[in-house]
Amino acid sequence: MANFLAQFQTIKSSSDHIVISVEDVSGLWPTVKKGFEERLPFKRACLNNKTRNSVFVENLPAEFILTTDARLRSRFPHEQYLFWFREPYATIILVTCEDLDEFKTILKPRLKLIVQNDEREWFIVFVSRAHPSNDQATKMAKKVYSKLEVDFSSRKRERCCKLDIHSPEANFWEDLDFKIVESIRNTLDRRVQFYEDELRKLSEQRFMPVWNFCNFFILKESLAFIFEMAQLHEDALREYDELELCYSETVNVPGKQRDFGGLERGDEQAALLNSGNKPLNEIVQDDSFREFEFRQYLFACQSKLLFKLNRPYEVASRGYSFIISFSKSLTSYESILPFCMREVWVVTASLALIGATSSHYKEGLVALDVEKEFHRLEGDLYSLCRLKFMRLAYMVGYGTYLERSPVNSASLSMLPWPKPAVWPSIPPDASSEVLAKEKMILQASPRPKHFGIQRKQLPLEPSILLREANRRRASLSAGNMLEIFDGRPIDGVVSPSNKPHTAAMVRTNSIPGNFESSIDRPMRLAEIYVAAEHALRNTISNPDLLKSLSSLEEFEQKYLELTKGAADNYHRSWWKRHGVVLDGEIAAVSFGHGNFDLAAKSYEKVCALYAGEGWHDLLAEVLPNLAECQKILNDEAGYLSSCVRLLSLDKGLFLNKERQAFQSEVVRLAHSEMKQPVPLDVSSLITFSGNMGPPVKLCDGDPGTLSVNIWSGFPDDITLDSLHLTLTATFNTDEGVKALKSSTPIVLNPGKNTITLALPPQKPGSYVLGVLTGQIGKLKFRSHSFSKGGPAESDDFMSYEKPVRPILKVFNPRPLVDLTAAISSALLINEPQWIGIIVRPIDYSLKGAVLHIDTGPGLKIEESHAIEMESHTDVMDKTTMENRSLGEKNNCHSLKIEDGQVEFPDWASETNSVMWIPVRAVSDQLPRGSSSGAYSGLYLIFMYCRLMTDV
Amino acid sequence: MATTACFIIVSRNDIPIYEAEVGSTVKREDAAHLHQFILHAAQDIVQDLAWTTSAMFLKAIDRFNDLVVSVYVTAGHILLSE
Repeated sequence: MANFLAQFQTIKSSSDHIVISVEDVSGLWPTVKKGFEERLPFKRACLNNKTRNSVFVENLPAEFILTTDARLRSRFPHEQYLFWFREPYATIILVTCEDLDEFKTILKPRLKLIVQNDEREWFIVFVSRAHPSNDQATKMAKKVYSKLEVDFSSRKRERCCKLDIHSPEANFWEDLDFKIVESIRNTLDRRVQFYEDELRKLSEQRFMPVWNFCNFFILKESLAFIFEMAQLHEDALREYDELELCYSETVNVPGKQRDFGGLERGDEQAALLNSGNKPLNEIVQDDSFREFEFRQYLFACQSKLLFKLNRPYEVASRGYSFIISFSKSLTSYESILPFCMREVWVVTASLALIGATSSHYKEGLVALDVEKEFHRLEGDLYSLCRLKFMRLAYMVGYGTYLERSPVNSASLSMLPWPKPAVWPSIPPDASSEVLAKEKMILQASPRPKHFGIQRKQLPLEPSILLREANRRRASLSAGNMLEIFDGRPIDGVVSPSNKPHTAAMVRTNSIPGNFESSIDRPMRLAEIYVAAEHALRNTISNPDLLKSLSSLEEFEQKYLELTKGAADNYHRSWWKRHGVVLDGEIAAVSFGHGNFDLAAKSYEKVCALYAGEGWHDLLAEVLPNLAECQKILNDEAGYLSSCVRLLSLDKGLFLNKERQAFQSEVVRLAHSEMKQPVPLDVSSLITFSGNMGPPVKLCDGDPGTLSVNIWSGFPDDITLDSLHLTLTATFNTDEGVKALKSSTPIVLNPGKNTITLALPPQKPGSYVLGVLTGQIGKLKFRSHSFSKGGPAESDDFMSYEKPVRPILKVFNPRPLVDLTAAISSALLINEPQWIGIIVRPIDYSLKGAVLHIDTGPGLKIEESHAIEMESHTDVMDKTTMENRSLGEKNNCHSLKIEDGQVEFPDWASETNSVMWIPVRAVSDQLPRGSSSGAYSGLYLIFMYCRLMTDV
Repeated sequence: MATTACFIIVSRNDIPIYEAEVGSTVKREDAAHLHQFILHAAQDIVQDLAWTTSAMFLKAIDRFNDLVVSVYVTAGHILLSE
């Protein structure tokens, strides 16, 4: 049966619709043909599917063919059985007769002869040519027709219908349609049943030695084709799915060595959507088919049906899985296939699938979920294609132009190199190409990173290509690295990511033009590129792909097209992370082309994503690129912001030297000729908090000082030209904010700094810290960020809420100090004596306080003695205060009085103390030393004492 | 089978809040970038998948050559990926 494969495919391709044969007994076809053909295609034809359920086919195409037609006549009986799908599904017998005798003697026997073949589905259309005005003729026609009905129709089956040419009955055409479709349905059911029986028999023999997959295939595909012709695509698809399953079961039977295929020119161009790529008889092998071609053929048949079912999404979905699994098969046969066959096939397959699915896909026709999933698959296909394309480009020397980004590195560094049996060798007479490649390698020095960042470049290769290529060459033994590296010692440890082009840079022994010896010595990198390029030219037959790898410009164009395609589809599928990451790759290309504006926009999107989600390792990779763009674009605000963001990142992500470079850029710009002051939020870099412990307490009207801790994230000292800190009243938000200013420059050291700010008198209430603002040159910065205890001590970094702990409390006016006399006895006239004033601070610090003493008339401070002060508790320890006399100075501190004012010592600011004032009551009338109660007014003196706490 | 693993906890706001590299092999220098990139990208898959199942352990949701991403999603949509 396998011999019929070629014929089978030809017939299959030439017949794609159902055939209805017309037995024109009375030469009527030319008359009725037009009317019949107008019924095509049949609308809402009711057929049975494989599970014998009724299905309405919207449009069933068919063709009327006369039985005398050559197409139906020249068939051999055995072909009928093999290619049953092309046999007529119904036979219409066109007759007319105007005479009853004629009917009986001529027509009836003839008709009996025609319909004796029971296998055919037939019915008779009696055409009446009688004019309606001709009653006799009409009557005769009716008679003949009724006789016909009696002879050929049965109770079970109505097999006759009558067409009046001059005035067709209204329901004739519906009746005709019904009868045709009924015949088709019956034929279809019978044929399906037959094929199913045959297939069942064959399936049972599947594990027997006589099993022949080709036979099974022809039957199975015939059945699928029968369904396809009947527009029952769903059933046809199921047949192909079963066929695929059966093939995969039988193809890998152990012990049977089969050719895989894929060795012919042009095979690298995926044919997964082109079922007619190769004739089936060319890919047959023994009792089965070659895997390489046949699996693609089956997928092409399935996808064709899926497209007919308007399910491009499913084609993409199945296609992606198919490419992945087929790629694995290609890997296992890699050693016999042409160089990089797998990569090239995946590229062409992905592109073909993307092209076909996107052209069949119409937006808005499917549910949102399916739409998202479709774009996700398209994105995956683009990504896959992009990845393999990058690998090919790397092999021919464009690797230095590939961005060493996390996405490229993650994809390429874990993707193994191709494993050909023997790595391609350099062709003869390729010296000029090698020189060109060497020149390209030398020119493509890696772009130094901005800010002098010396990060180790991310690898794009699983291992050094130089080593891999030379290891796989037949004539070389592996491992002699010194030989490979032109006899030069290698600095440091060789790691996959460690400057892959070192070897090419240090060519000292190479003699351009002398390539004959390249068989024996290791190939240099440029030679590997040239060898790979030549090998790829042999592999690739697709002119577009060859063109895309022919020059750097063409490569970049294709690379950009694939990256954009992937990014665009990922965005549409709401996979923003995948999309934005690829936007970053587009930005890198834009940057390389000097299109900094576009690059900056894309980089901003990437940075916003990483920063928003807090993936700092990834952000640290991209942010310097954005900063560089902004610098080139003279976007001062953006550049400053980027520098600050770089400084705010985790310290471990950059070297201190690099962080210093960020800071110096900030300072340089701040002090440069910026046209306008640039506002900048440095909340992540400068944080602040009040002192730990209780808030500062002040009384209404009192000035004070407030010390604030400021944490600087800058790596070096930084000078702030001015600093403002707002205090927000907690009791009344309408009150606005009070700004504390420090106009003198403040130098912030890295880490914690404590600064003291003068606090002007405030209204009573509680205050919390608000916003820190300041200026560095022309840079106006602002920080909202509170530190709970400094970044180092903070372990609760999940908590971002604003601390509400008041830093300052200003109280209402109240007595702040209690002054009472220590002695209430009478004074001796004209005798110097000590008067004690007990000073008790009432929850208030008397630091810097000044006591004004006004003695009043008749009392004089004895200035020859110093005023003394001692702790009140010391005084209480003494047996009696009355015993105190001038000259006793236990634990006393001398104080000076000037113009009736005494400055309080610091030690007495918080504790109760006694101030001893030497006084003398003066009276001209009384003799010295006499005692009198006349100076009771002395108490009043202290009432006038006034404390001032000038702070 | 990879002999290195990266364990990461991602908050419901997609912010990584804990990260640990475990494994017996010598760490690749770019491992941090690699793992972060792969796990970050895997969140796209998680966001779709998490709502389609009532299971908390989503098993292997993504594969990057020999690196496999598996995710456990808590009721509060905190992700534990490795």
